[in-house]
Formats: sequence, C-alpha cells, structure tokens
Amino acid sequence: MPDPAQIPSQAIAYQLIGAGLLAAVGFLFLLPRPRHRQLLVGTFLGVSALGLLVAFLVTRFGSATADWVSTILFWFFAAGAVGFGTVLVVQRNPARGAIAFAFVVLSTCGLFLILAAPFLMATTIIVYAGAIIVTFLFVLMLSHVSGPADENDRSREPLLGGLAGFGFAGLVLFALHQSLPPASANTTVATPGLPLAPLTVVERSALLDAATHLAEAESANREQLLSTEFSQSTRERLESVVGGMTAPRGTVSLQQRLTLAQAEPRTATEIQQAAALKKQIQTTFDTVETALIDANPPDEARAKQALRELREQVVILAGTGGLPARNVSTLGLAIYSEHLLGVEMAGMLLLVATIGAVAIAHRRGDAT
Amino acid sequence: MISLGHFLTVGAVLFGLGLVGFLTRRNFITMFLCAEMMLQGVVLNLVAFSRYHGNLSGQVLGLFIITVAACEAGLALALFLTLYRRGRSLDSGAWQSIREIGVQPTIDVEPLMKTVPSPDYPRLPVAGRLPVAAEETARV
Repeated sequence: MPDPAQIPSQAIAYQLIGAGLLAAVGFLFLLPRPRHRQLLVGTFLGVSALGLLVAFLVTRFGSATADWVSTILFWFFAAGAVGFGTVLVVQRNPARGAIAFAFVVLSTCGLFLILAAPFLMATTIIVYAGAIIVTFLFVLMLSHVSGPADENDRSREPLLGGLAGFGFAGLVLFALHQSLPPASANTTVATPGLPLAPLTVVERSALLDAATHLAEAESANREQLLSTEFSQSTRERLESVVGGMTAPRGTVSLQQRLTLAQAEPRTATEIQQAAALKKQIQTTFDTVETALIDANPPDEARAKQALRELREQVVILAGTGGLPARNVSTLGLAIYSEHLLGVEMAGMLLLVATIGAVAIAHRRGDAT
Repeated sequence: MISLGHFLTVGAVLFGLGLVGFLTRRNFITMFLCAEMMLQGVVLNLVAFSRYHGNLSGQVLGLFIITVAACEAGLALALFLTLYRRGRSLDSGAWQSIREIGVQPTIDVEPLMKTVPSPDYPRLPVAGRLPVAAEETARV
C-alpha cells in the first residue's frame, strides 16, 4: 500500500478531473437524442471514466485484503449500483429505467448489509419496492407512446448537465481526499488476534445480565435496594467488564484491552462509553445510598431514577458492541429515546403529504 | 479492508449520476427516479458514517430520509398526474411557458426520427400463377 503522505494531491486531482471529463463526454454520446446517438463510443468513454475512478479509490484508500469476502462483495455491489444507475440515466424507456432503479436499490441494500444495517436494508427494499411498483403503474397509465417522443428521445443540455453533475461529484471526492485521514495507518497494523468487535460475547451477556438485575430494582423496596447483596452483585458484574475497585484480580479491563486497538474509530467510542459507565457506577451507588439513608424522608424515586439511568448506559454499551446482531432492538432504543421528536415530525410529515397528495390529485368534477 | 472512503465515494458517484439524470432528462418519471437515486447516495453516506462512529444516529437519520422519500414519491406522482391531465404529456419541456422572465425558450431543432409505418397493402401474387392458398382444415 502506498503511503498516503507520498501521494501528491496533483495526481489525485488529475485522476478526478480525467474521470469527470470522460464521464461527461461519454454521457454526451449516451444520453438520448433524436439521431447520432453513439452507444459504443459512449460506453467506452464511461468505462474508462470508471477505470479512472477505481484507480483513484485504490491509490487513495488502498486495497489491502484483510477481509476478502467483504472486499469482493463491496466491489460487486458498488459496480452494480453505479452500472445500473448509468442505465437508469441513459435509458429511453421509462419502464426499463424503473427496472434499472430497482437494481440500484438492491445493490445499495447489499452495501447496507456490509455496513451492518440489516433493518435499514429491509426497510429500503420494502418501501422502494412499493414505490417502484407504483411508478410502474404510472408508466403504464401515462406513457403509452409507441414511437419516438419528445420526453424520451431528447435531453436538455446533455453536455452542460453532465459537466455539472460529474463536476460536483469530482469536487466532493477531492474534498474527501483532502479531509479523510490516511487509511493505511490502522488497517495494515491491525494486530492479528485482536478482535475487531472488542466486546466479547461473555462480556456482553454479563452487561445484559446486570441490566436485567437493574431492571428488577424498579419493584424493590428500600431494604432490598440498600442490601449489600444487591449493590455488590451488580457492581461486580459491571466492573468485571469495565474495570473498577471490586473487579477480580488479574482481569484485563475493557479499557486497557481497547487501548491497543485505538486506531479503530468504533473502538474509541466504546472506550469512551466504558469510561463513562465506570464513572457512573460509582456515582449511582453513592446517589442510592445518600437518597435512601441520608435523606429524610428516604427518597426512593430518586434512587430508582439513578438506577434507571445506569441501566440505560449499560444497555447502550452492550448494544453498540453488537451493532450487526442486535441492530433492530438498539435502533428502536435509539429512535424512541434520543430521536423521539424526529419520529413525531416524520409521522406528521407523512400525514401532511398524504393529505396533500389527495388534494392535488383529486379531480374536481367539471367545475374547473 | 473496505474503509469509510470507499462507501463515501460510491455515495458521491450515485449522487452525481442522479444529478446528471435530473438535469438532462425530460421525462417526469425518469427525473423522479433520478432524484430517488440521489437520496440513495445520501443514505449510503449516512449509514457509512454510522458504522464508522459506532453509533446508530446515522441509521436513524437514514430511516427519516426514507420517510421523506416516501412523502416525496406520493406528492410527486400526484403532481405528475395533474400535469399529465392538463398537458397530455410527461414532457417537462411542455411546461416551459411558465419559465422565468427573460429566459430564452428552448426550441428543439432536430426533428424526431418518425418511423412511418407502411400502409397495409394487400399482397398480390404474380399474374399468371395460382395464389398459394392456405389449406382448409377438414370439417366433419
């Protein structure tokens, strides 16, 4: 892998400019026009633009093969998305364009799976499958032109449009090149044997175990909350993962283990969460004791509130580690805890859009 | 190892392709599909960042984008239906009479290649020969 410090920005810029110009000129030949449409020339130019783009990707972000399967799948789905997207743009027949768009959506869903977002993948397929079927109905209803038609066989300013679109994409990619940290540093030095998902199954089950234990505290009375048995067992379970005073000797805490893999960004998040949890364990049990012993009368609600907050933190740490596996439940937690207002607004938007669509498409008899 | 940059690149290219299609095509339905493709590129970006940072905010935002895309689809198709009822065409160029003041109208110079279907003349056999008649099926 080339050292990104040695890649001059000039070479990257030439690659991007070349790819953008080739793609724009290729689309000039590919886009529908009444005559002199040269598909072969356009395809050749488009493929060479893609080649330059792949060269940009490889020189800039590297092609190290630590993980063959995801590498191959990524290239497969990326090629599918870009290829069928091109077909959608240059296809005369809107029905065939809709089929190409269906394949774009499927390829993007494959990329979602690689990115550990199975719920989003399913949602995208369901929503867009419906959207594409409705689009098909519209094509069947509205465009029953048999021969050449203005809307299908003409393009509006193909050269300028292509330059604008691909120029924009090229600028975005150049900004990406300038702002992203070099990829080589942390991918090649990935120590063998170090787990990529640092929270092990045992630790996660310990966290969830502690979370259920904390949930039981909701219905506990004051004596049970104050008993050493409750606080001691909960603390031991949590601190065996994140480290602390009561952790058994000889265990390597999550934080100490994760400092080895700090280059991986996900790990950094988990370290932060683990540190926050460690701090919160102490404060929570202090709060419980002060609320139940020192306060007069004993403030059980406050103690339970503190325990509830601790439980949320535990669940977040346990869930984030299992991003792919527990995707739906953690996504639900995130939506209904952090983004509740957004959910409400999205629902409102859907309602307004439904009313608007009915109002627009409604045929008002003969009055108008 | 596939890095964040790979996914961002694919997202940017999808967005650029959709932009080209939206700017150049004239069929309403194709333009709509191209806009949806731009949204796909954006969602891909968000999901990639969600993976990169190890939290789920990006995926939540992606869900919201899908909601907005569904709203947009409903409204856009309703608008197309109305426009089609008035103009009898899905051509966006048919509505250039509502363009801004001072903008020159677009006039299509190149004529369309009309394929004129040849009229359905009867086929006559060469004079002096018996026409080849289809054999009649035997009727019982």
